[in-house]
Amino acid sequence: MPLDTSAYSLALLRVDGRRWNELRRIHAQIRTQAAADGSSYLEIGHTKVMCVVTGPSEPGSRRGAIGSTGGGVGGGAVGGGAAQSKGAEVAVSIVIAGFSSVDRKRTARGDKRILELQSTISNALAASLHTHLFPHSAINISLHVLSQDGSLLAALINAATLACVDAGIPMTDYVAACTAGSTSTYAANDEAADPLLDLNHQEEQELPGLTVATLGGSDRVAVLVCESRVQVSRLEGMLAVGVDGCKQVREILDRVVREKGRRMVQEGTVEKGVGLNDMDVD
Amino acid sequence: MPREAEPSLNEKQFIVQALGEKLRLDGREFDQYRPLELTFGDQYGVANVTLGKTRVLAKVSAEVTVPYVDRPLDGVFTIATELGPMASPAFEVGRPTETEVLLARLLEKTVRRSGALDTESLCLVAGQKCWSVRVDVHVLAHDGNLIDASCFAVVAALRHFRKPDTSIASGQLTVYTPAEREPVPLSWLHSPFCVTWSFFGDDGETALLDATWAEEQVRVSSCTVSLNRHGEICQIAKLGGVPVEAVALLQCTAVALTKAKEFSTFLDGKLAEDAKRRNKGGFMAELSSENDR
Amino acid sequence: MATETERLYVLPGDAIDEPLVPRHKKQPLRLGPGLRHIPPSAIVPTVAGQLVVEPRKNSMWMEYNGGRYVPAQNDLVIGQVQRSAAELYLVNLAAHTASATLPQLAFEGATKKTRPQLAQGALVYARVVLANRHMDAELECVSAATGKAEGLGPLTGGMAFDVSLGLARRLLMARSRDEGGVEVLELLGAEGLAFETAVGRNGRVWVGSDSPKTIVLVGRALRETDEGRLDVEQQRKLVKRLVREMR
Repeated sequence: MPLDTSAYSLALLRVDGRRWNELRRIHAQIRTQAAADGSSYLEIGHTKVMCVVTGPSEPGSRRGAIGSTGGGVGGGAVGGGAAQSKGAEVAVSIVIAGFSSVDRKRTARGDKRILELQSTISNALAASLHTHLFPHSAINISLHVLSQDGSLLAALINAATLACVDAGIPMTDYVAACTAGSTSTYAANDEAADPLLDLNHQEEQELPGLTVATLGGSDRVAVLVCESRVQVSRLEGMLAVGVDGCKQVREILDRVVREKGRRMVQEGTVEKGVGLNDMDVD
Repeated sequence: MPREAEPSLNEKQFIVQALGEKLRLDGREFDQYRPLELTFGDQYGVANVTLGKTRVLAKVSAEVTVPYVDRPLDGVFTIATELGPMASPAFEVGRPTETEVLLARLLEKTVRRSGALDTESLCLVAGQKCWSVRVDVHVLAHDGNLIDASCFAVVAALRHFRKPDTSIASGQLTVYTPAEREPVPLSWLHSPFCVTWSFFGDDGETALLDATWAEEQVRVSSCTVSLNRHGEICQIAKLGGVPVEAVALLQCTAVALTKAKEFSTFLDGKLAEDAKRRNKGGFMAELSSENDR
Repeated sequence: MATETERLYVLPGDAIDEPLVPRHKKQPLRLGPGLRHIPPSAIVPTVAGQLVVEPRKNSMWMEYNGGRYVPAQNDLVIGQVQRSAAELYLVNLAAHTASATLPQLAFEGATKKTRPQLAQGALVYARVVLANRHMDAELECVSAATGKAEGLGPLTGGMAFDVSLGLARRLLMARSRDEGGVEVLELLGAEGLAFETAVGRNGRVWVGSDSPKTIVLVGRALRETDEGRLDVEQQRKLVKRLVREMR
């Protein structure tokens, strides 16, 4: 099992040839679907996801479903129904394509893992979107996973953020996410373990890791999910690397949005209006 | 028609206002748990946990089944949660709420995926027979912090549980009744405990341990850390909500570790106490022909 | 209670002995909550509790610490606004009770133009004017006779605490100390704490004060009195202890 670790200690290179603090290639696009209010496509290495946002619109019949959060104050309270909340409801649905991973597996409809992912993304975005501006309405975020190679939750959060930006929903800042890990498993009580940035599937299987999402360029953590056993002393290093990675991811996302905006102005799709003046379009 | 007991505006405002003045409604410190109590049932593997007014009952049962095809050497271990209208008017029968799904996932990650129970030891005949251990978690009363109470109940019940002894002679599996052979405990590797922080305020600057239901309904975000007493994190879940400073989260984890150690000592003490109670008089009492009549 | 000699514990469906039923020459027999008349002459308790007989008023009723609130006429309740409809507010009294209606004009001095705007989740102190088994209860925040609020109306600030129905009833008694055996609020007041309360028969007590510390203290005192079933002497000790802790 510790193939990865032993190879790492020799050359300080990971299985895919990256250094400890290197992200994989992130490629992102926004406005990929003409019909949607907002859409995005995002690749982190071989993890590929698509996101489509509709809304804010009138809420449909599917109310109170799992993975939907009444915005505003109800952000973190589990079970806080949309009944009394003043903000828009953020509903997330995730479809994982059968061909997305190596072993072709059909995921059950009520899979708890997916429900948890949905509720996490919904809660994370509801807290940073200005949902109070759209009372009694719903923002539907549907995410499609086309290919999985680790850092799935991070990719989903990034894609959802981009699609919300594209949909023009006001938000405080980007919610940018990435993963961080640590060399050596929990059993090896190795104090000199290095933290790693952006785990791929193989590293995720073998090494302890966590997913962290931060709000904009700050150190404030919106999502922190760790699903493997790890020494508590190792957490600080991993978290620091993860937060730093999120800042890099934010820059990348920001560049994508600005690039698209510039191109749209050039092509004349949109007027360079009042709102765009303060966004420095160069 | 029962309805979700959502707090009124006055209550929401007051709870936040009072927390700003370092006051909790029940006069506790911010990092203080409500009195935790644990009682074991007459049977093995029944744990009844009360945390303030929150009450959770966990029951462990075991039966011999066929292992999954893709894991012939592992036993089956499941945790089932039950949140009915008995616990709170907010819950309905049959439709799992988000609370229930997240609770089930957290218990799964904390106890099952962290390898607290050695599932390989549940295998009897590879690919043919294994033990299926099932924990049923029933929430009897809900006054906040279900996660910590349920996790504690599950761990306590599993550690208290004894499964019937078995033997295999010439391919024949024999399961002994408790009268024939003393039941054996499960092969237990480590005891993880959940510690849940709730965050309040616009930037989540106030952190509370063991929030009551009223407090949970006004919190802006929460973070559950599962640890064992060796200082190993089994799971961290801060599933969205208002962002919290990374440094604050690290501090929370450090405090959570001391709490997990306290839980661990408390549980060890209770288990020892129960073992003593069961072993009244020891072997000689069992041999004696006297009885209560 | 001062007038009553002995209290009998009865269970639902128990037979009530004939001599216990008060017989007054002129007044008709009045049955209070928890008792039911089954013609021709049987009187059967429908809840478990203490049977109270008041011979002078020719009435009898049950004292019980029931779990669920059922609205009854003239009860003072604290409700929570659920939503507002065209002419009325829908008000929630308890989790398992159907919501009650509160006409938007049933406030002191309210007209079509000057009616109070209550947000979702706001608390109101109201009186039940209409309650029967087959309809939603109706509330009012103004006395129909005088047109004055008489203490009823929206509750602003403060904090609402949940107590048992029995304690709420005892707190509402005219002489709560002698009849109900609760003195905790008076004792807290005597300690120099400044606060105001509104007790709802549906098991909610609203406490208002300028200092959150006082509100928390009153809330804890109420809760401990309720859960510990403390008598007056114990309440006195509790108040002393809590006040000392707070200072």
